[in-house]
Amino acid sequence: MIQSSSQTQSQISPLLPKELVYRPSGSPMDEVFDANGNTKPHWEVLLNSFHALGSTTFLDRLNKAQRILRDDGATYNIYGDPKAPDNTWDLDLIPSIISSNEWGKIESGLQERAELFNLLLKDLYGPRELIRHGVIPPQALFGNKGFLRACHGIQLPGEHQLILHAVDLIRGADGNMCVLTDRTQSPSGAGYALENRTVMSRVLPSLYRNSQVHRLASFFQQIRAKLTSLSPNQEDPRIVVLTPGAHNETYFEHAYFANYLGLHLVQSGDLIVRNGYVWMKTLDGLSRVDVILRRVDDLFCDPVELRSDSQLGVPNLLTVVRSGRVAIANPLGSGILENPVFLKYLPQISKKLLGRELRLQSVSNYWGGDPEDLRYIVDNIESLVIKPTFRSADTSSVSGRRLTKQQKQELITRIKERPEQFVGQPLLDAGQLPTYVDGQLLPRPALLRSFAVAHSGSYSVMPGGLTRVGVKETSFEISNQSGSQSKDTWIISSEPQGPHAGADEDVAGAPGRDADLISLPSRVVENLFWMGRYAERAEASLRLLRTVFMLLNGEEPISLNCQRIILETVTSVTATRPGFINCSEALIRSPEKELLRVVGDGSSSGSVRSNLNAMLYCADESKELLSSDTLRVINDIRDALSELDIGLSGGLASAPEEALDPLVTALMALSGLAHESMTRDFGWRFMDIGRRLERSLQTTTIIHGLVVPEAPEADQNILLSALLLSLEALISYRRRYRARMGVQTSLDLVMMDTSNPRSLLHQLEQLNRHVRKLPRAQDIRHELSPEERATLQAETLIKLSLLTELSAREDGERTQLKQTLVTLKASLNTISELVSDKYFDHRETSQQLVSSVWENS
Amino acid sequence: MRYRVTHITEYLYSARVSHCYNLAHMIPRSTLRQTCLNNEMTVSPLAAHRTTREDYFGNIAYHFEIQRPHNKLVIKAISDVETGPQHTSLNLDFGITCKQALEQLATVSKPEIHLAKEFLIESSMIRATDELRDFAAPSFDQDRPLLSAVMDLTRRIYREFTYSPQSTTIATPLEEVMRTRKGVCQDFAHLQIACLRAMGFPAKYVSGYLETLPPPGKEKLVGADASHAWISVFSPTEGWFEFDPTNDCLVSEQHIITAWGRDFFDVTPLKGVIFGGGKNPVLNVSVDVARRG
Repeated sequence: MIQSSSQTQSQISPLLPKELVYRPSGSPMDEVFDANGNTKPHWEVLLNSFHALGSTTFLDRLNKAQRILRDDGATYNIYGDPKAPDNTWDLDLIPSIISSNEWGKIESGLQERAELFNLLLKDLYGPRELIRHGVIPPQALFGNKGFLRACHGIQLPGEHQLILHAVDLIRGADGNMCVLTDRTQSPSGAGYALENRTVMSRVLPSLYRNSQVHRLASFFQQIRAKLTSLSPNQEDPRIVVLTPGAHNETYFEHAYFANYLGLHLVQSGDLIVRNGYVWMKTLDGLSRVDVILRRVDDLFCDPVELRSDSQLGVPNLLTVVRSGRVAIANPLGSGILENPVFLKYLPQISKKLLGRELRLQSVSNYWGGDPEDLRYIVDNIESLVIKPTFRSADTSSVSGRRLTKQQKQELITRIKERPEQFVGQPLLDAGQLPTYVDGQLLPRPALLRSFAVAHSGSYSVMPGGLTRVGVKETSFEISNQSGSQSKDTWIISSEPQGPHAGADEDVAGAPGRDADLISLPSRVVENLFWMGRYAERAEASLRLLRTVFMLLNGEEPISLNCQRIILETVTSVTATRPGFINCSEALIRSPEKELLRVVGDGSSSGSVRSNLNAMLYCADESKELLSSDTLRVINDIRDALSELDIGLSGGLASAPEEALDPLVTALMALSGLAHESMTRDFGWRFMDIGRRLERSLQTTTIIHGLVVPEAPEADQNILLSALLLSLEALISYRRRYRARMGVQTSLDLVMMDTSNPRSLLHQLEQLNRHVRKLPRAQDIRHELSPEERATLQAETLIKLSLLTELSAREDGERTQLKQTLVTLKASLNTISELVSDKYFDHRETSQQLVSSVWENS
Repeated sequence: MRYRVTHITEYLYSARVSHCYNLAHMIPRSTLRQTCLNNEMTVSPLAAHRTTREDYFGNIAYHFEIQRPHNKLVIKAISDVETGPQHTSLNLDFGITCKQALEQLATVSKPEIHLAKEFLIESSMIRATDELRDFAAPSFDQDRPLLSAVMDLTRRIYREFTYSPQSTTIATPLEEVMRTRKGVCQDFAHLQIACLRAMGFPAKYVSGYLETLPPPGKEKLVGADASHAWISVFSPTEGWFEFDPTNDCLVSEQHIITAWGRDFFDVTPLKGVIFGGGKNPVLNVSVDVARRG
């Protein structure tokens, strides 16, 4: 994100606006020009339009596109690095264009291929005729980790076992599209393709409208219809998207897909197998799950029968699948179809299963398990891409020509050790597409990922797909992880799209989310609760710190004792002990370093940064419930957080309170949005419970820290203004009482005045209202629930307090106030525990009965 | 021969288990030389859900799910099994030679040969190394009948390795077995399979029970029997043959099969996921093989 935004900066201010013209590079692989160097007709219009648009407007549109992508939270996270910043999805505005005519051929080729892979899947987990008759060498199947024996014999209803099929296509030297890889595990990319389309139709509306582009929406409707048809329970089936979680590289797509199709987004911990069914843990108990759209690799889905150390699985899922009481798409075991060795035997497989060879060509494949191929691989490693036969997080393809002599030797040694685990594929020239790079349109090699879904007796292919282009003109290696750009893919019809096909059809065509909001997974609700708590916690700390910075830098000198009281309160409120508690006088005199640590040290729990990180994590985990405005504010918080260090680098001397302002403002915007634009469902209610609880706790701690100790009048006044300032009540106070500072009047305003939205009593009243509305078991008795009793107790405690007693002093402190605040704090913690025990999921950690290290070796 | 096998497995946990999901391979399968007449599984505490199915290898897999808190899990499997001898007269000096067998495996395209090759490939617990190949080679003269060679290997493992129940945990890496020359039946079965695969012959792991006979004049003790493991090797012309390297013999009527697979991992008697349970559960297993009629 940081990278791409700085990239944007450089794009915004080009020194010389260049003309947007695409010139023939002379490469025979260029998609735009024919053999004579003439622009192909379907490109002509498009390139003319961009030329007419001009560089400056184009840049405006590009910036707008990047803003939309960022606001939508479109990211592709670099796998396995939790510290890496989010990478905003990179979209090039020049679409890839394919004529209807050519697409017709590609489409039928893809349908045929999907049919074949469906038959292949059925055979491999069924009769295995291909092995019995020697069409596929046994080693190619039996030696592959993707062949999951536990999945033998599993059957989905309907004639298709393979539900989703994605294919990477590249333009071969003969001008025909050629298949590079098949994706059958849990194909990703369709959601990104849809997001690209949405953005294109928004930033280039007229160009898009006039270009007669095939729409994508119906493809997604077909996916939904197919998933629905798989349900064992035809009455209101519950379909969920199973994601590995927010750290997964394509999590954006999982949430996007779930939202667009109106499905629940769940993680494995949200699901449980009980009595032969799969259930989702929700606020009001368990709800049955009928269909799972799987984005977790099959090997990780059931620790009882598949990989036993998996934390991403649901124990006993396979037994439910076998009994047909839940359907999973793609079915468990389908990852085996990605084995590139099968490509070597595909012509024979196709003849056996379809009775003919495939129309769509695949890249040629050399398999180390075949002695002749192995020799070829070793002799020609320079010109090959070496791929593992089983794709996993710790394996990747390498291009021979990118290796040093020594690396090549090492690779050859590795291949010779286990030759059957490698294939070699020749490097292909890819078709070149005009791509916007540094102010110019330059040719870049392109790869198209297409998508097919099983649909009424055959397959339906998405009219378009996800095009990705290489970073360099010659760069063949295109993957999302090497920072390449993507493009929308336009299939241009010869006639205009039907009357329903308005520009926004793809965008507005999304079906609504299921109305059963009560059945949110408990995990999501818990995350919202904690999101509220962390946001409030960070806000309270920020306000107090801002006040402290202002006082320390203020004109009026502060007594050492007063400074100690304030700083100790900072430590208590942020829970960063030992901090200033009972610290040396030297530390009180120069608190700067510790204060800055309390703000910015992400490794210290309780610091503002770590609270905000925790808040952002909770937001990611419940992303699918947050509005796009909320996501935008969350991005602002993320930005403000990343700029915090710069703002604080000047130390105390340079008004650090101002560096905190953007964060306070963004947090205010967040709570405002929650208040104004979240529907009052249980998600909102839990978030607000979190906020109110946390605000009460923080206020209690601040009052305790600043008012309980007895101080001389001059100090007292400073402490009271610090109290009022950090609780955002100083202005109301002054309006009401003028300049005179009084303990009773201050306590009245921050504790009992319900017209002050930050007073303790106001929080407690709100809490009381919330807990009365939480879902509860039907009961005709009128007895209060434990959490209702606890809130009522807290509320009553404040209501029955007397200001004269609270302000009374004894032995250097206000004992009654202290007593009240301690009791209140205990009640608040009880409420939090009661709510979380009752409504959140408390999973015990699981372990394997027999530990085994064997399967991973 | 007709037997009643009583196999009791007991786990004592150091902390409460709230619920668990298990998969047991404890019900004897029926094979060419064995029929499982009757089986009864008892799980305590009572399972909330249970299913029995035939797995990929044709074994009987028993799944159960317990949803009530417990500190102790007991599984009792009682099976009545009728066994017979292996399917040929087993005159080891006849039949195809090692060389012929390898040629046939390489060239003949028959479904059973293609399918048998699954047991030639490296599996999770068994990797055929050069060391194992060197160890096995002396038994496999090109012109020696295959089964005679396998018997010779069986004997060499029996003679050169010490049976030592204390020497190994549930599964020992083969390098360690080779180094210490000690092990239990599982280890010897794994070792022999690795040797056979290294020589190019498909071999599988067989788990089951062995009837032990009391010393003459003594009463047989209940529960003295044990679960056992041995191997089965593939001859391209004659099919599968079972050998027992722990007892230096061909497998007989006294060997009762539960399940087979590529190695122990495929046929683990009991595995699963438990929630809670603390550390170091205590496992007690008792097996009794009694003749019936």
